[in-house]
Amino acid sequence: MLAGALEKAGFEFVAVPRDSAGVKRVADFNCDLVLWDLEDSSPNEPTPAERLRKSGLEDMPVAVIVQGGQGELAARSLAEGAADFLYKPLGKDPLPRILASLSTGQKQRCIAWSNRVIEDTGRQIRGILANMADPAYVVTPQYQILYMNRAAEEIFGEGMRGGTCYRVFHDRDEPCEVCGKSKGSGRWRSVLKNGKSYRFMSADIRNSAGELERLAVATDVTVDEEVGKIYKTFISNVSHDLRTPLAAIGQYVGILLDGLGGQLNEEQKGNVDVIKRSSFRLRNLVENLIDANKILSGPLKLKMEKADIREIIGIVLERLEAQAEDKGLDFKVSVPDDLPPVYADKALIAQVIANIAGNSIKFTEQGTVQLRVGYIPRDEGRIMISVEDTGIGVPTEDLGNIFELFYRVEGDKVYVEEGAGLGLAISREIVRAHRGTLWAESLEARGSAFHFTLPAHKNESGAH
Amino acid sequence: MAEKLILVADDDRDLVTALSIRLRAAGYEVVGAYDGVEVYEVAHERKPDLVIMDIRMPAGGGFDSTDRLKHSLSTRSIPVIFLTAFDDEDMREQAQSLGCAGYFRKPFDDVEFMDSISKLLGS
Repeated sequence: MLAGALEKAGFEFVAVPRDSAGVKRVADFNCDLVLWDLEDSSPNEPTPAERLRKSGLEDMPVAVIVQGGQGELAARSLAEGAADFLYKPLGKDPLPRILASLSTGQKQRCIAWSNRVIEDTGRQIRGILANMADPAYVVTPQYQILYMNRAAEEIFGEGMRGGTCYRVFHDRDEPCEVCGKSKGSGRWRSVLKNGKSYRFMSADIRNSAGELERLAVATDVTVDEEVGKIYKTFISNVSHDLRTPLAAIGQYVGILLDGLGGQLNEEQKGNVDVIKRSSFRLRNLVENLIDANKILSGPLKLKMEKADIREIIGIVLERLEAQAEDKGLDFKVSVPDDLPPVYADKALIAQVIANIAGNSIKFTEQGTVQLRVGYIPRDEGRIMISVEDTGIGVPTEDLGNIFELFYRVEGDKVYVEEGAGLGLAISREIVRAHRGTLWAESLEARGSAFHFTLPAHKNESGAH
Repeated sequence: MAEKLILVADDDRDLVTALSIRLRAAGYEVVGAYDGVEVYEVAHERKPDLVIMDIRMPAGGGFDSTDRLKHSLSTRSIPVIFLTAFDDEDMREQAQSLGCAGYFRKPFDDVEFMDSISKLLGS
C-alpha cells in the first residue's frame, strides 16, 4: 500500500529488507528519506538511525514506522537520531504524512551539515590561533583570561587561564587604559615580560551564548622598533656630518666678504660670492633632503593649533617679497578679512606656501605672482590658498608628475639651478596630513596656478 | 671696561678659528677649547662670560660638559649657548632642560647669532 502511494505520487523508491544487505542498498541508492518499518523488531536491537550511522550514513534522514500505541519505541528512535515517526496503520492517504517526514528529514540534514561547517570552522580557527607564532588570548569584559594560545603560554607559562589579564600580562593593578576606555577594537603597544615589544590589536567577539569576549593578538615589533631607532640615529648622524663643514664654509665666506681677512678686490669678491651662492645651494639641498626624509619616512608629527592664515603667511611673506623683488616681479597678496581660523601646524603650512610661491617666483621671468586666500563653504568649511603666476607654466604631460619625489621638468627653457624635485612632494604630504588637497593647473607659456585647501577650524567641539 | 671673554668649545678647530676672528672683530676676547675636559679646565681657569658649546665633542660631549659647569659653584652662572649640527627635537629638549641660553643649528645665521650674543653680554 505504501509502495502504491509513493508510486502514485511519482517518487522514486526501493523496498529493501531490514538487514545489513538492505542497509548497503540504501547507501547505494542515496535517497532523501528512509522509511523504516519497525514491525516485529526486538526491543534490544539498535535503532534505525544508529544502524545507518554505523554504516557511514550519518546524514541519511530516517522516519520510523511503528504500531499505533508504540510511543515509547518511537520516542527512543527519535532520541537516537530519527527525523520523524509514523504510526501504523498509515490510513487511506499516507502521502501528506510522508511529505512532512521528508521535509523534516531535509531540515535535519541541513542542520547537521551547518553544524559540521561551524564545527570545522571553529576547529580551524582554534587551530590557527593555537599554532600561530604571535601570542593571542581571549578575556571576558571583566578581564578574566578565558584562553591563551601556545605563543602566549610560552611567554607567561601555562595555567594562567582564569587569571586577570592586566595582572598576568602587564603586571598592573588596574585595567590598562586602552581597554578601560575603548569599546570594541583597540590598538596599543606594550613591552611584555620577555623583554620584547608587541603591537596589540583587539576585537570584541560574541561567544555561542551571546556574551561579549575580547580577543587580542600581539605582533612582535621588537625588530621593527630597533630598525627604526638605528635608522633615526643614522639619519641624525648623517645630517650632523653634512651640516658641520657647511658651517665652517659659511663662516669663512663671511669673514672674507666682511673684509676681516683684509680687503678684497672686485674680482676676488666676485669669486667669493660664487662660493657663497654655491654653499647656499648645497645647504638648501641638504636641508630639503633631511626634511623630505623626515616627512616621507613616517607618520608626520604635526604641532596642530588654531591659527589665523594671515599669521601663517606672515611667517614667510618678507622672504617671498624679497625674492620677487630681486627678479623685478610684482608680488601681490589678497586675504579677505572675515576668514575663519584654520587648525594647522603653522611652520609646516608656512613651508608649503613658501614652497609653491617660491616655485612661482623661480619660474616667472616677468609679470605677477599672486597669493590669494578664499573660503569654500562646502563640507565643514575649507580655506583655499592659491598661488598664480605669469610664468613659463608646466607642460601638460608633466602636470601629473610634478608632485612625485625627485621629479623635474626637463627642457632647455626650464633650466633652473637650484631644486632637487623635493618641494612639491613634501608639500603634498604636509597638506594631506592636514586633511587638505594640493593640486595644480597650468597653461604652458601662460602661467601656473597651485591651490591647496585646509579644513576650517571648528570651535572647541571640533573633534581633533 | 675689560673686554668680555667668550669660550668657544668645538672639536672643529677651523670653526673655532673662524668664530674667534668674527667675535674678536666684534670686540670680544675669545678662548678656544676642543674637547669636554678642556672646556672644564679653561672655564675654571679663565671664568668666561659666555660659553659657546658644541654638542658632539670627544672626552665628554656638550651636554655632559654643561652639566658639570652648572654643578660647579664658580662656573654655574656662566650662560651657555649650544651651537650644533644636530637638529633633533630631543636634543633641543635636553638643551632646554640644562638651562641653556640659546640653541643655534649649524650652519647658522651670522646676524641672529651675533645679536643674541650681544644681548646676553649686555654690550
